[in-house]
Amino acid sequence: MDLLPFFEWAETSLLGSIGKSYGGVYAIGQSLHLLALALLGGTVLLTDLRLLNVVLRDVPSEQVAENAHKWFKVALFMVMATGIFMAAAVATRMYYNPFYWAKMTALVTGIAFVFAIKRPLLKRPHDDINPLVLKSVALASLVIWFSVAATGRWIGFS
Amino acid sequence: MLNQGLFNFSQWLDSLELSTRLHESYYMYNWVESTHVVALMLSLGMLFIIDMRMLGLTLTNVPASRIASRLNLPMMIGFTIMIVTGLLLFFAVPVRTTQSIWFRIKFVLLIAAAVNAWLFHKKLNESVSTWDNEPKAPRRLRYAAGLSLGLWAGIVTTGRLIAYDWYDCFRAQSEFITWAAGCMAE
Repeated sequence: MDLLPFFEWAETSLLGSIGKSYGGVYAIGQSLHLLALALLGGTVLLTDLRLLNVVLRDVPSEQVAENAHKWFKVALFMVMATGIFMAAAVATRMYYNPFYWAKMTALVTGIAFVFAIKRPLLKRPHDDINPLVLKSVALASLVIWFSVAATGRWIGFS
Repeated sequence: MLNQGLFNFSQWLDSLELSTRLHESYYMYNWVESTHVVALMLSLGMLFIIDMRMLGLTLTNVPASRIASRLNLPMMIGFTIMIVTGLLLFFAVPVRTTQSIWFRIKFVLLIAAAVNAWLFHKKLNESVSTWDNEPKAPRRLRYAAGLSLGLWAGIVTTGRLIAYDWYDCFRAQSEFITWAAGCMAE
């Protein structure tokens, strides 16, 4: 299925027009995207570094994961809302940008990983889970979300 | 006087071969900039968690001092990476950055955030024994945490705005912008 007509429509939509016409609003959207990324990264790192026994070793990992996941969802919503706003203004350019597709692939992988694998696993008592599995999940999570952030930055370079 | 000195310094940096090579290296420059942005997740990410704990928004059943002390090291590692990459980004484009009003505002906000963090930790260490297990920090520390979040939002925003040339010196600017950005004739 060719998605180009959708991207062309997105660029002419109200959202796309606002981002294209008002540079200041677009820049604020970019800043909010970065702040949301920082919060998202903070929650991911907090959980994963705890599972790897790097930080907060004296706090139960269930407690850390539960608290971090609440704010992860808030951050993910903000990242996606501001990301859609930013992409809409330059949608046609995004369609032809390989890093945009790399980021979308990493993002979808990250979301699927969190909600289909990591979260269901971490809802169980962590003592019942093989420590190697916990550490592997934490490492995979770090790699995926680092890829989301890095590919996102490279969209602007290509 | 100060602007002239900064301008001369930036021109000297600009004349160095390494500055030009960094600026013109597609991969090196972009990797430095990417690292600067990705390090946000570590530095600001940990700072957000600490400030949010003080505000009673997360991990309220964990002593505040434990959150602050345990996350301090990863946060400082993140800030060290940001400072090193930030200096390299400045070194790559020194003349334009020195005369960027956004960079100047960012610098002032960074100093304010550093002073706020110092006062915050001083106050935290002095008083934490009386409220450590409370879900929220005392009002003064909550204000400092809120101010910290606001200052960092400003630092990220002005940092992002450096890329835009709306107020660059090559454009016709008002007297105020010319003064605040420290525009010097080249």
